[in-house]
Amino acid sequence: MQIAVASGKGGTGKTLVSTCLLRVLGDNNSVLIDTDVEEPNAGLVLGQVAQTTTPVSRFVPDIDPDSCNLCGKCAEICSFNALVVLSDKVLVFNELCHSCGACAYLCPLRAIKEKGHPIGVIEEAQLPGYGTLLTGRLNVGEALSPPLIKATKSQKATSALRIVDCPPGTTCAMIESISDSDYCLLVTEPTPFGLHDLELSLEAIEMLGIPGGLLINRWQGEDSDLIALSDKTGVPILGRIPFSPELAQAYMQGKDPLEAMPSLRGILTNIFSQIKGALS
Amino acid sequence: MKEILFISGKGGTGKTSLTSSFIHLADNCIACDYDVDASNLPILLKPQQVSNHDFSAGYTSHIDEETCISCGLCAELCRFDAISEEFQVLPLSCEGCGFCEKICPVEAITMYPRSSGHWSEGVFNQKQKLFSADLRPGEENSGKLVAQVKNMARAMADTEQTQLIIADGPPGIGCAVISSMVEVDLIVLVTEPSRSGFHDLQRVYQLMQLRGIKGILIINKWDLNPDISQEIENWAQKNDLPLAGKIPFSNVIVESIAKAEIPATNPEVRKMLSPLWENINKGIGC
Repeated sequence: MQIAVASGKGGTGKTLVSTCLLRVLGDNNSVLIDTDVEEPNAGLVLGQVAQTTTPVSRFVPDIDPDSCNLCGKCAEICSFNALVVLSDKVLVFNELCHSCGACAYLCPLRAIKEKGHPIGVIEEAQLPGYGTLLTGRLNVGEALSPPLIKATKSQKATSALRIVDCPPGTTCAMIESISDSDYCLLVTEPTPFGLHDLELSLEAIEMLGIPGGLLINRWQGEDSDLIALSDKTGVPILGRIPFSPELAQAYMQGKDPLEAMPSLRGILTNIFSQIKGALS
Repeated sequence: MKEILFISGKGGTGKTSLTSSFIHLADNCIACDYDVDASNLPILLKPQQVSNHDFSAGYTSHIDEETCISCGLCAELCRFDAISEEFQVLPLSCEGCGFCEKICPVEAITMYPRSSGHWSEGVFNQKQKLFSADLRPGEENSGKLVAQVKNMARAMADTEQTQLIIADGPPGIGCAVISSMVEVDLIVLVTEPSRSGFHDLQRVYQLMQLRGIKGILIINKWDLNPDISQEIENWAQKNDLPLAGKIPFSNVIVESIAKAEIPATNPEVRKMLSPLWENINKGIGC
């Protein structure tokens, strides 16, 4: 089973929830995948340092100047303006390239090969007793995160329980992260920002046809807007984590949130039962 | 004209609360929200006379069923798994590269422009302009939409002779953030004293350095963890990153946001943020 933990707004508690879900439910075959590759934090929260690091590249064109006759076909077909043909050479802008491979395939002289352009790494950490943490980490300066997210998610595909800690927002990176998931747990907070961004995330999971449920974090009693949204969309509220200064403090210091708020264990176990129920 | 950008790396550190407050403290400025996939600044600034403009960037391919001979070449060559077994295009996966269109032996594939969302212009505080955008969920091109918002705001600043643009940035370090940094004069880094906040700050700081832009730091909610706050301060000092100030955790700010109000409309918050605003102004050379 693959559960994506997402939110529209950043800082609502995705990483708190996904790391605690793993702590509560995980066994040696479970895996937590941090696909917030721009700013991965699950390792910090779990206090884990990666044991292995695997570089990830994506393809970019590599032009053989001896074979190229500067015909301009590659620049003409590139939809992303990643190739510019000058009078004496072809310039390649790796950061604009989407690695589609069209230029290499269609070059009349076969003067274009593809080479790897490093975009980031996949870090793997063993968590004794509750599985493996896989973290995608984008190189600073790289713009495109989906290829790294895809590569990170392709690891340990057969694990019985896969929890995906998603990036904020609702762009292609979030879609890549939640795709193929059996369920999407949306973590929100009872503020106007949380509500606004949650509505966008609900649109995203509906588009993908992934069943979802809500978890209200930092709950302080008043959540009528979220109840109304849940009623309107039919996406159930699975649980509420009460606002707790002790939990916030512990989390900020990198301490175990389940010790700071022992009731969290029950809240998450209950949510998992509801998810299993919804999927059966 | 000067442009100030607020970013944080990590989401939820208080960027929008602070950006809206400094927009309120500035004498006159144009406001921008570059967080195009979760735009929250308009919730606080409550713009009037909002006009929305469609934005399309890139293309999606379409396979004509009548013409298609199901040869499978497009599906085989597509790097994005965007063509289903029934030879239909999956718009969420399609990157719009047009490879399939060019190799289809029977010309069954066409590319059509893709609507990515819209950008908006509105008026707040009677006469000030706010530029923002809403990317459609699942869309790419957030960087291009950010660039569109920026171009419109800068053109308006030129026309109206406005001297300052204050922009709320997106979280992360990817395409939207890179695009929001273009032509910026000063970056205000908003962090919180947590392990995650500090880690994310350092990555976004590296990106800022790569782009050669000047920065200034705010530690928000510093008293929730004085130790990490001090660690961040030491790190900033070592890196010659000036500190605009530290803000204690404030229930007044939390309550303002719950009511969708700009925190600095409260006199207590205004008083607390004024010295930081002076430091930011010094940072930008005003």
